[in-house]
Amino acid sequence: MNGTANAKGASNTKTRRLLIRGALLIVYVLIMVLMIYSGRRHTILIDNKDAADGSYRAINGMEVSIDKQESSEYYPGDRDKALVQGQKHTIKINIFDDNSTIEKTFTVPLWSDMMIISVPKLVAGIEPWIEPFTVAEQIEEAQESGPPAGEMSFQSLGDVPGGAEGAPPPSP
Amino acid sequence: MSARKKLSTLFSRYAVVIIFVIITLAAIPPSGLSVKYILQEIITRLGRNSFLVLALLLPIYAGMGLNFGMTLGAMAGQIGLIFAVNYGIANWQGLVFALLVGLPISVFLGWICGLVMNRAKGREMVTGYILAFFINGIYQFFVMYMLGSVIPMGNKAIVLSRGYGIRNTLNLESVRQSLDNIVMLRVGGFSIPLVTFVVIALLCVFVVWFKRTKLGQDMRAVGQDMAVAEAAGIPVEKTRIVAIIISTVLACAGQIIFLQNMGNLATYNAHDQTGFFAVAAILVGGASVTHASIANVFVGVMLLHAMFVVSPLAGQKLFGSAMIGEYFRQFIGYGVIALSLVLYAWRTRKAAADARLGLRGSQASPAKRSGETAVGNGGQA
Repeated sequence: MNGTANAKGASNTKTRRLLIRGALLIVYVLIMVLMIYSGRRHTILIDNKDAADGSYRAINGMEVSIDKQESSEYYPGDRDKALVQGQKHTIKINIFDDNSTIEKTFTVPLWSDMMIISVPKLVAGIEPWIEPFTVAEQIEEAQESGPPAGEMSFQSLGDVPGGAEGAPPPSP
Repeated sequence: MSARKKLSTLFSRYAVVIIFVIITLAAIPPSGLSVKYILQEIITRLGRNSFLVLALLLPIYAGMGLNFGMTLGAMAGQIGLIFAVNYGIANWQGLVFALLVGLPISVFLGWICGLVMNRAKGREMVTGYILAFFINGIYQFFVMYMLGSVIPMGNKAIVLSRGYGIRNTLNLESVRQSLDNIVMLRVGGFSIPLVTFVVIALLCVFVVWFKRTKLGQDMRAVGQDMAVAEAAGIPVEKTRIVAIIISTVLACAGQIIFLQNMGNLATYNAHDQTGFFAVAAILVGGASVTHASIANVFVGVMLLHAMFVVSPLAGQKLFGSAMIGEYFRQFIGYGVIALSLVLYAWRTRKAAADARLGLRGSQASPAKRSGETAVGNGGQA
């Protein structure tokens, strides 16, 4: 009788211990996931260039800031980058011509390292104004459509009107 | 006890500290550094190193000597940081992530270290030192080959151009000083990384609390005499393993704190000197192989690093070469460890001789029986 009760008690303790350990393991993994979600850093390229097909034009002058970071001035042909952490962000654009301010919220996919925001597209309301950007893909596209090797550099992409001529926009 | 004998005992007990204070003070004028600069450097280095040095306390309480095996924890912390950089996790979240990755690895390595040390009782220090070399080989294999080939690494910037293995130096820009900069106090022209010091203070509170727990008391009992502790029903081997596991885990966290302050990671050799400098620091602070306290940690870090700050410039001024100061730094580190071990062995022998003498004296005249028979659990080497 006593032995059976003891065995039952031991079994209960074992089950409870197992449950507590399982719960701790879940909490451990959840904290890891939370750290990835809240801590993952992304590079946002802020682009102010004309469309290759002429569907939109670069903005003459503007001030752009992401979240609470310091704002930067952009003129036609400019491209700069901002580092952000986490997924949800706000971009604030102040256009010099009409002194209007546009504020938009956007989400960066968790595993995307680099995104490009085309501010002229955003201002013109053309979707998608935010797209994933892969350096390797850009180089590949530039090599496929650009002038012979040796004359093309990745840096020159930004200086050539329309970027890599005839190159399709980077695929997501 | 005569005044002369008291002075001799005091000197032998604090010989390392006294010698170090004298050398450091003597090196300050030729270095030409301002006191303010030296103090700021000491504050920075206190935040950077104290956690690592505190990791040495528990094994000393458990009678396992200076845990050179803490290097294992440092390697686990580095693996955690490599993954944090690979996944692009920045700021303090990156540090927490690195800790969460490093934690199970350090527990496992600490457990292995504890098992090995239980088979090498009385020779824990040299065993830990050699074990660190052995695990270093596995670490090199893991980082140089496994990462990028077996374990995919998404961040190509940290992978060697051949496609696998991690680059020699890793830029920890994403987590650089992220703990220090959460709250950086500016007091009287000094920058004090408040959160780092809070973390260190919490560890000190943990150590004080832990010493009062049943496990902490068991550790001290094991440290004093394993046979007596065993007879009293304390699971000696298990207690020793727990001490080493806790030390390894703390070393993992300590290495992460150290590296976030430095801002870059020498992938293949950042951990090499971790144990060596931590051990040197605690010994400089007045600890011995069998006795250490929290105060020893802070005194040691301050003194050792004050020396590290002034010695290259003192070497430059006195000998015309900063390298002399660098060699001096190495020489001091190894010299302190050697001196402490020699003094420890000498004190142990002296205590045993005194005890024998006391016993003979008491046999000759029972009235002379004294209580001077304190002998530690000698044999540590």
